[in-house]
Amino acid sequence: MSNNIKYWKGEDELTKNPSFLAAQRNEFHDDLPLDEVFNEEGVELQANRRDFLKYFGFSVTAVALAACYKTPIRNAVPYLVKPEDVTPGVANYYRSTCGACSTACGIEVKVREGRPIKVDGSVDSPISQGGTCAVGQASILSLYDNERLANPLSNDSEQTDWSALDSEVSAKLKSIVAANGKIALVSGSLHSPSTLKAIEAFKGAYPTTEHVSYDAISYAGILDANAADFGKRVLPTYKFDIAKVIVSFGADFLGTWISPVEFSKGHTINRQPNAEGGMSKHIQFESTLSMTGTNADHRFPMRASQEALYVATLYNYIAVGTGARQIPVPQQGELAGNSIKKTADALLKAKGTSLVISGSNNTEIQQIVNGINMLLGSYGTTIDMVNHSNQYQGSDVKTAEVLAGLKSGSISAVIFYGVNPVYNHSKDWAEAIKKAKVSVSFASSKDETASVCQYVCPDNHYLESWNDSEPRKGLYQFTQPTISNVFNTRQAQVTLLTWANANIAMEKDPFASKGIFSQKLQASPFYNFMRNNWAATLGSDDAFNAALEKGVMAASVSEGGVSYAGNVEALASFVSSNSKATGIDMVLYQPVGVRDGAYGNNPWLQEMPDPVSKVCWDNYVALPKSLAMKLDIAEGDTVNIKVGDVTYNNVPAMIQPGQANETVALALGYGRTAAGKVGGSIEKGYDTVGVNAFAFANNTGNRSFVAKNVDVTKGDENYKLAQTQTHHSIEGRDIVRESTLGAFKKNSKAGNDLPETHIYTIWEKAEYRKDGAPNHLWAMAIDLNSCTGCGSCVVSCSIENNVPVVGRDEIRLRREMHWIRIDRYYAFESAEGAMTKDDEIAKIDASGNFDHWQNVNVLHQPMMCQHCANAPCETVCPVLATTHSSEGLNQMTYNRCIGTKYCGNNCPYKVRRFNWFRYNENDNFDFHFNNPLGKMVINPDVTVRTRGVMEKCSFCVQRVQEGKLKAKRDGKSPNEVIVQTACQRACPSNAIVFGDLHNPESEVSKLYKNERGFSVLEELNVQSSVKYMTKIRNNDSI
Amino acid sequence: MIARNMKVWMLSAVMALSVSSYAQDKPNAENGKKLYDANNCGSCHALDKKLVGPALRGVETRHSSEWLVKWVRNNEKFRKVDKDPDAIALYNDNGQAAMNIFENLTPANVNDIIEYIKTAPAPTKTATVVVDGGEKKDDNTTMYILILLVAIFSVILLVLARVQNTLKRVAAEKHPEDFEHHNAPKKGFFEKILPGKWGKMNPTVLTLFTVAILGGVGAYYGYGFAITEVGVQKGYAPKQPIAFSHKLHAGDLKLDCKYCHSTVEESKQASIPALNTCMNCHKGVQLTDKYNGEISPEIKKIYAALDYNPEGKAGEQYGPNPKPIRWVRIHNLPDHAYFNHAQHVKVGRQTCQTCHGAIEKMEVVQQKNTLQMGWCIDCHRNAQVDVANNNYYKALHDKAKKDIASNQGKSKYFAADGKVKLTPAMNGGLECSKCHY
Repeated sequence: MSNNIKYWKGEDELTKNPSFLAAQRNEFHDDLPLDEVFNEEGVELQANRRDFLKYFGFSVTAVALAACYKTPIRNAVPYLVKPEDVTPGVANYYRSTCGACSTACGIEVKVREGRPIKVDGSVDSPISQGGTCAVGQASILSLYDNERLANPLSNDSEQTDWSALDSEVSAKLKSIVAANGKIALVSGSLHSPSTLKAIEAFKGAYPTTEHVSYDAISYAGILDANAADFGKRVLPTYKFDIAKVIVSFGADFLGTWISPVEFSKGHTINRQPNAEGGMSKHIQFESTLSMTGTNADHRFPMRASQEALYVATLYNYIAVGTGARQIPVPQQGELAGNSIKKTADALLKAKGTSLVISGSNNTEIQQIVNGINMLLGSYGTTIDMVNHSNQYQGSDVKTAEVLAGLKSGSISAVIFYGVNPVYNHSKDWAEAIKKAKVSVSFASSKDETASVCQYVCPDNHYLESWNDSEPRKGLYQFTQPTISNVFNTRQAQVTLLTWANANIAMEKDPFASKGIFSQKLQASPFYNFMRNNWAATLGSDDAFNAALEKGVMAASVSEGGVSYAGNVEALASFVSSNSKATGIDMVLYQPVGVRDGAYGNNPWLQEMPDPVSKVCWDNYVALPKSLAMKLDIAEGDTVNIKVGDVTYNNVPAMIQPGQANETVALALGYGRTAAGKVGGSIEKGYDTVGVNAFAFANNTGNRSFVAKNVDVTKGDENYKLAQTQTHHSIEGRDIVRESTLGAFKKNSKAGNDLPETHIYTIWEKAEYRKDGAPNHLWAMAIDLNSCTGCGSCVVSCSIENNVPVVGRDEIRLRREMHWIRIDRYYAFESAEGAMTKDDEIAKIDASGNFDHWQNVNVLHQPMMCQHCANAPCETVCPVLATTHSSEGLNQMTYNRCIGTKYCGNNCPYKVRRFNWFRYNENDNFDFHFNNPLGKMVINPDVTVRTRGVMEKCSFCVQRVQEGKLKAKRDGKSPNEVIVQTACQRACPSNAIVFGDLHNPESEVSKLYKNERGFSVLEELNVQSSVKYMTKIRNNDSI
Repeated sequence: MIARNMKVWMLSAVMALSVSSYAQDKPNAENGKKLYDANNCGSCHALDKKLVGPALRGVETRHSSEWLVKWVRNNEKFRKVDKDPDAIALYNDNGQAAMNIFENLTPANVNDIIEYIKTAPAPTKTATVVVDGGEKKDDNTTMYILILLVAIFSVILLVLARVQNTLKRVAAEKHPEDFEHHNAPKKGFFEKILPGKWGKMNPTVLTLFTVAILGGVGAYYGYGFAITEVGVQKGYAPKQPIAFSHKLHAGDLKLDCKYCHSTVEESKQASIPALNTCMNCHKGVQLTDKYNGEISPEIKKIYAALDYNPEGKAGEQYGPNPKPIRWVRIHNLPDHAYFNHAQHVKVGRQTCQTCHGAIEKMEVVQQKNTLQMGWCIDCHRNAQVDVANNNYYKALHDKAKKDIASNQGKSKYFAADGKVKLTPAMNGGLECSKCHY
């Protein structure tokens, strides 16, 4: 089957926008802004001879003087007493648990000379399984955020010390308890046994305390549904690794839903097509194009307000198939073609290995989903309610009660632990908190909630803390500090225990005896508390240390079932009252980058392009093409949105292919008003980034992130989104390849069997490829079937390789610095299959029916330097700054580069990046790279590039060299060299494989023989070192 | 002073011969001094100051010489078997720190030592020790004064020249006849300095020609200077906060380099040792004998950095205010060059001296090589990879052996000594990203 699907990256490219095409012709977006620089008075660009001589003379003198600069004295400061396990120059790795969200992925922290510089997944953790998400990767930078609170604050932001604060707060709390006043402790979902015990100790001292869990992104719908149906208010453990047919109603389980890394790792196992065609089928019904939706085999648009009807209809079809009773709902005619019936058939065929999930926070919808899964026999197979998840436990109802209690004055004191309800619940909290006699926040920076609290007791970053966790029943993970406190902060648990006056000393301090010389170490109080807590299970120091070293304690898997007491039929009235769709719906969704906004001040996440829209640094209203045409909105326009009494004017608009008609979407997590210089802060005078979509959430009952009857009108401003998607154009070339499972079963080269093109070449075969090179030949293989586009690799690469953050304006100028990008290609799908021709698309568009815009096929393709053997960049460099190594690496030598940019111009893959500025010293790039604390995250093995040089992916050559050296030192053979690039290490779906082609046993060698493998732009004969595996969709028939 | 010491040493060397051969009648102070040093008495005792053991001056008045002989030769037996009350008291008075047993010393030897203690000169006041942790900048005052003087003199010279000119002009106006030859047609500059027809050539051409020659010569030397001198710190030997002598430690005492630079085989850094490494020896070695009972001023700096009080009670010797030592880095590679010690020392089996010079002879460490890229490359072209003893290179080694077998002397791996020639350069050791990333 030849592959002639018409792919496009953005609307501009598809519709052949003339200005876009003009800009596309230039490699570099803008001319040099010389006129701006020289338009000061007296300085003109048209310099005359005298001016020329002046500048020339000045430059020569300046250079001469600069050259005379005396070499500075550099000091070397060794340890006074070297810790036994620290070797300067060699990284240590510690197992810990990620604290970026309550999912609690097991991680491995890379520490150099006492400072953590990288976080990756721990292979022993059943949650992370060695992968990480972008947020987890980026969370390390929050440790080095110089806007964290350096000291505790009391009474309107006066800095105080801990002992003064402790006595003041505990006295006030005691008097509240004495007067029988209520104390509310509002925390995120906690599943740490020791932390919960600490809270119990606090409750013991202050008996009027009520502990309430609040999740900004609530899963209360599932929790309450399970409470009603199974008598257990828990999230189940979903087993995507054994699910063969997955149906998701708006749940972005690969991107943001509950435990995305765990689900990605499980999901990817069944995405490998083989001769038997054993590949899972993934069907997605959703309103806006989510990252998970882009990976679905079948995707159907669904109006968010009609989800109940969709789910009920599916239930009824399955009930017919299994002989159960149907929900009596009014027939609405067939929804989404005949797709629900087909979906039901597919699910029934895979009974026992099927899984239906919904992203809704509505209890009734989740009850129907439970009913479907019950009929399909998913409980005990793909859904485990016995070894259930503890990751989210929040209750929206109880949170609302706290708010009401504060308003009415029935709650006298409130403590916020890891939550920010003023920002992400409701603005009403700000006034309500002021009514409390005592209000405390444990936030580590002065966020929206902390700003209105009397006391702020900054919590440690998780990399500075001791903790344990139980993300799944019976599965314990540990958190250990990898750096001593950067600021004068204190772990929240210690604060609670101190106020509770609990005795947290240990009988025998295990650290005291290790005090070498003067530096007597003392165990953190919470270490003592936690250690005592584990004394029964892990009594000996050896057992405890072994558990810490592994980071995970083997899950004790319980067998058994749950008894289902649900009654789906009773939900008939709910379904019928929620089946009519009127007006325009708005879906509020978590973006894959900044998620719920807790990490809004993290520049790496802000700069990570959204996996679908490729927009950075903003949220926007995603419009379906049909609505955009109706409102006469084009790219660059803005819209005004109004729901009830909440109005946002001039929000950037974006036409989102795949968006269901009559629905718009807006990302949560933006619009922080007290995040900091990156995320925005009114107090400090930094612009907010985007708008706060939490304002549109409906807080009655379980929070609803679907707004109905939205008023959308065209705004009167223009706004250019910083979007990386359109920066490079596909130029009609054959860059991505795909096929279907049916075709693949017949021909394993399906989609990849293009006719041989005759190759003209100016190159001879490279010397090192002729005689089997010295020891290694590095190469990479990327499976387009596995890649979900999540962007974890992008962030991981930036951390590993000291890639600077450039900010919104620079990205608008196409000057992003990411060494790896994930290209996202759209293609229309019609009933007959993929659309292939421009005129075909144009004809449909001209008909005024834009329904086909609701459904697009999407391909994600990670793109980085392809390390071509015949590299076009190398032949044009006038100073030999980019050369080839005998191990197949395309080397970039910064100290030789003079910045002609010829290489970038000549690169067919557009993966070279030019340093326009000295980002690490330029205060116009005030993100993290320009301050001493932010610089702590720099990888010392990689050069920080200066202005005026080209840079690009190096295949993590520092890791290659390290791996080789380790083998040489140990006298191991070259085949035993283990190197993982940063992108590969982070990938939660095992899509990237790096290795040595000279080792026939290596995974990459095997993948190079895979018949799905192709090189991008093979016809250019550049002999790239990256092979992609053709995408196979399991979409022949549902 | 040195000369006198030399004499003493030579004398004692002569005496040493006689010690073993003849019994002596009279105690000999010079022999005593030699024995005192040889047995490291000074590491626990000083003459005028209590260290671990008591101050020794006047010991002959406190105890009889028979008692002292017994005590010195085996104080343990003296205390435990003989149960001498004085000995037990002395042991208890000094914190029950047992003195070593010196049965190698004959009674006569002990008496020699006592004689030395008796006759040793009283201490002269030693210079106050200034413990400064930082580096001292070179004093440039002289230079500044010189520059100032040059500037002043130049100004005076200029003024004088002006004055002379003015005087000449005035004189010429008054007495033009005396200055007639000045009105002769002026000769061009080149006419003046060049002979014959050379001087009559077009001055523009000559100017350009001269500039070209001067420019060429300047560029040649400038380029040479730039690549061999600018930023090159060969010979850099800054003053360090502690005058640590590699000559003493690595040369005279023959300490293994890796004892202190312990990470050299596993890390990119050889690493300057932490002070706890110094303290392994210098808790005991205080060189008090050299400094009349005082601790060596340089060793005191270690103690100051650790806030260590050698006279404090056991367990309380370390204070709360340690202050790290800021050594001055001598070998500075630019940030864009990656160098790994483990690769060169452990894998490449290079000695420290290959790059650092004869470090064991340096009182003050200095940079012996240019550390320029050309210098690195030279070695990468010529050094021999240890292919025979490392499994990592086995495939490469086999390939080379095969190549030699088939091509004999024409093989690029062929070496005259019959071994396999394989330089880092032949294995990609000249490629950019081996060092630059």
